Amino acid sequence: MHEVVIGWALQEPTSVFGRFLEGVAAPKGIVDFLVVSFMLFAIGVLGVLSRRNILIIFMSIELILNAANLNFIAFTRYWQAMGRISENMGHIFTIFVIVVAAAEAVIGLGILIALYRNRQTVAIDEINLLKW
Amino acid sequence: MELKGAQIVFYYGLAFLVLIMAVSLIRARSAVHAALYLMGALIGVAGLFLLLHAEFVAGAQILIYVGGVVVLFIFVIMLVNVREEITEATRLFTRQEAVAWGLVGAMTIATVIALRREANLVPPAGALMEEPLALAEDTQRVGSALYTRAALPFEIASLLLLVAIVGSVILARTRRQEETFD
Repeated sequence: MHEVVIGWALQEPTSVFGRFLEGVAAPKGIVDFLVVSFMLFAIGVLGVLSRRNILIIFMSIELILNAANLNFIAFTRYWQAMGRISENMGHIFTIFVIVVAAAEAVIGLGILIALYRNRQTVAIDEINLLKW
Repeated sequence: MELKGAQIVFYYGLAFLVLIMAVSLIRARSAVHAALYLMGALIGVAGLFLLLHAEFVAGAQILIYVGGVVVLFIFVIMLVNVREEITEATRLFTRQEAVAWGLVGAMTIATVIALRREANLVPPAGALMEEPLALAEDTQRVGSALYTRAALPFEIASLLLLVAIVGSVILARTRRQEETFD
């Protein structure tokens, strides 16, 4: 990443810890980033399905969007390392995802405030009428 | 593309930070705790972006998500005055959480095995980009792509944000405010 920050470990490549890191535990390619992204997505889906509080469901949706962003960035890095692309359009997609997520959070929380004013609840299983 | 030295330490630290924060988020009893866990998870994802040489996106993530969206969540928690969540006493099937976690674990192991077999996802040693981009160069590339190839979506995004601002004001105003306006 940045040589100033990580220089200490690069100077000691022959230590046992360094050899362990380089040999066994080193993430190869983007596979491990994809795994983190998948687990983040799965946890987000689990949160959406299992919680009753609308606020926490919104936060779980943010986790899902972040998992998608991580995939975009990882694949951009991979294709750049392969030399297939020179632009980083994945970064642009990620920025647009962030923008849309911010707009979605604003609208969703506005709806939530209006709902709370009418029903005095944020539990999603008590909100079962389309019109009240 | 392969990580070296302290990058590996950072990778594992950030990955465990993100996943532990995410699990804590969906298990949190109070919404304020959940918002703070969300902040931790988003910072961890920004660190993973840094490892992938996406410095500008990492900065935007910190500024917009942590500085904007999470603060918005905390404001709304303050406004709606959420009490702690009560789990229902009667449930037909009480082991659903264990079943869900088991499914997630099994799918994760399957994904790890499937992705590890996919040798195409590991770039060959000769194909590595030799020197990572400098910070200014990354920002420059993102900016030039944003204003050339992605210029039309960029303008549409500004319209989307305008609609979001006006819509949230209209949604959140009270009936008394509506009557005053009319």
